[in-house]
Amino acid sequence: MSSARSAAPLPYTDERHQMAAQFLTEEAHLLDTSDFEAWLGLMDPRIRYRMPVRVTAVKAADETDVQTMHHFDEDLYSLRKRVQRFQTDYAWTEDPQSRIRHHVSNVRTFEGAGDELIAESAVLLYRSRGDRTAPSLLSAGRTDVLIPTEEGLRLRQRDIEIDESVLRTQNLAIFL
Amino acid sequence: MAAAEPNGIADITGAVRQGLIPAFLYNDAQVHELERTRLFGRSWNFLAHESEIAQPDDYVVRNIGDDSFLVTRDSDGQIHVMFNMCVHRGMQVCRAERGSARTFRCPYHAWTYKNDGQLAGLPFHADAYGGEAGFIKEGQALLRAPSVAIRNGMIFASLDPDAPHFETWLGDYAFYLDFYTGQSAAGMEFRGPQRWRVEANWKIGAENFMGDSYHTPHTHASVVDIELFGEPKPYKRKEGVLWHAGPGGGTTYKLPPGSEFRSGLAYVGYPEEMIDRMAAALSPAQRALVDEPGFMPSASTLFPNLSFVHNWPQTDAEGRITPFISVRLWQPVGPGETEVYSWFCVAADAPDDYKAASYKAYLMCFGSSGMFEQDDVENWVSITTMARGSMARNLLLNNRMGLTLDGDPIVDQFRGFGGPGTAYQGFGEHNQRHWFSMWADLVSQPAPAREPMAFGMGERQA
Repeated sequence: MSSARSAAPLPYTDERHQMAAQFLTEEAHLLDTSDFEAWLGLMDPRIRYRMPVRVTAVKAADETDVQTMHHFDEDLYSLRKRVQRFQTDYAWTEDPQSRIRHHVSNVRTFEGAGDELIAESAVLLYRSRGDRTAPSLLSAGRTDVLIPTEEGLRLRQRDIEIDESVLRTQNLAIFL
Repeated sequence: MAAAEPNGIADITGAVRQGLIPAFLYNDAQVHELERTRLFGRSWNFLAHESEIAQPDDYVVRNIGDDSFLVTRDSDGQIHVMFNMCVHRGMQVCRAERGSARTFRCPYHAWTYKNDGQLAGLPFHADAYGGEAGFIKEGQALLRAPSVAIRNGMIFASLDPDAPHFETWLGDYAFYLDFYTGQSAAGMEFRGPQRWRVEANWKIGAENFMGDSYHTPHTHASVVDIELFGEPKPYKRKEGVLWHAGPGGGTTYKLPPGSEFRSGLAYVGYPEEMIDRMAAALSPAQRALVDEPGFMPSASTLFPNLSFVHNWPQTDAEGRITPFISVRLWQPVGPGETEVYSWFCVAADAPDDYKAASYKAYLMCFGSSGMFEQDDVENWVSITTMARGSMARNLLLNNRMGLTLDGDPIVDQFRGFGGPGTAYQGFGEHNQRHWFSMWADLVSQPAPAREPMAFGMGERQA
């Protein structure tokens, strides 16, 4: 899989952009309604799902993400384990469940290698737990590699650029 | 003049020494202030590992309490720990958290320091100050951390110039520290840290890693259920030994009967090549800890707020078991808020394939997204929230597990344990009481008054 992409984003009228944007909206719906099995079904078996740690660096150093440390660096096995854990009776961190909403916007779609699509998006995750602690927000950019299949688009790779160096949420018992 | 002794501190420390914890200690402004001045002002605090500043001119910025420190490797390779405040007007000199630099220039008036801390540039020194007649620039430097020590590549500092000698203070804890950060003669590689803030008091994480094997079967039932890590089954967890030695303590898992050093390490997933390195790096006495009856270190805390964890989950669908080590710091931000720093740690000369699997094991279990850590933090936030109210002011929580009402241990010390210190097999809060006795020692003693230092004034500063 290459990172080749078209120079300009596809126009909004392009059917491939519409497919990618709808994929992201439907995916967010699955996460917001805790339909994790269906969400896993959107993954290509070779999925790479990564969220590197961001750091505060001087401007001249231009590297603000740490490629040797991630918040997530997942394959299908570990994503499945995370989902299985939520389905046990003992995942206390999500019992009672958080009220969450993925706000997905700024979708830009590019032609990738072959028939792949590259979709960039912004996501704002609102998460409210219980009635004592303040809700938390996570803001991130995402770059996804989507591949068309007979069943629709599948997620082959997701690189998440989180907009904080110090997360202000108690844990990442969520997916972005 | 020393501040007046805070109301109730003798009652608090008295209760704590009996194994009774006033519930409000987990969220109280006055206690937090005592911890800031008396405890963190005097303790040995972990800042960084040498591998994080591997090359000359590398630096990281880390905190002790509210104080920002620059941890640098200078152009000659020497390590320095310096207070990150310009000695002119007090601005934070370096505002990035890591990077590479030969000099640091304060953005305010361009005072410039070399990466060994020496003041190298002072604009208009002659015009503005009349040169050395007005401000003695010669020999000035950023304020150094009062005490610094390095062990296994781990850089510690104390704000106390009269801090106890580090190695003497560390004592028998050093024996156990090597299992986490002394696995190879080539040293360790620290990656990260992941940083995140939780609305929990810092003490809870420190105590938990110190010796709470009792929470594992229930809090972490989900990770057993999904067959990520099989050890925390209740009957297995209680076979482990809890030890404390010097200023720290920890938990272990019992290895299968007949274990010896090599088979014990192989059981938790270390490849031959790693076992060879560990056999060379550890002493015969350390290796004997893993021999029959055989115990493998798991969680541990070095007082006050540095913890370690060593577990061995299943890291792929084919059933590969791989151990990992994480080092974590519970940095207090306020009475009810902690910043967690969590590093992944691996032998620097481990094979790439092992490093990758061990890193995967870490990310699945601990850190910001870790499946163990998710449930821990949920509990700790809840405790901290509950501790804020009025009822908690009159509640003494029970920290006496393993003692009769008369204060005698319910079982004898475990004599078959190969390590130094005090060891009990089974569940108990011996280690948490040990941690709290060290806590009480520090918060009950007023911090000595120190003379303020003036810069650029030479002999006239007093």
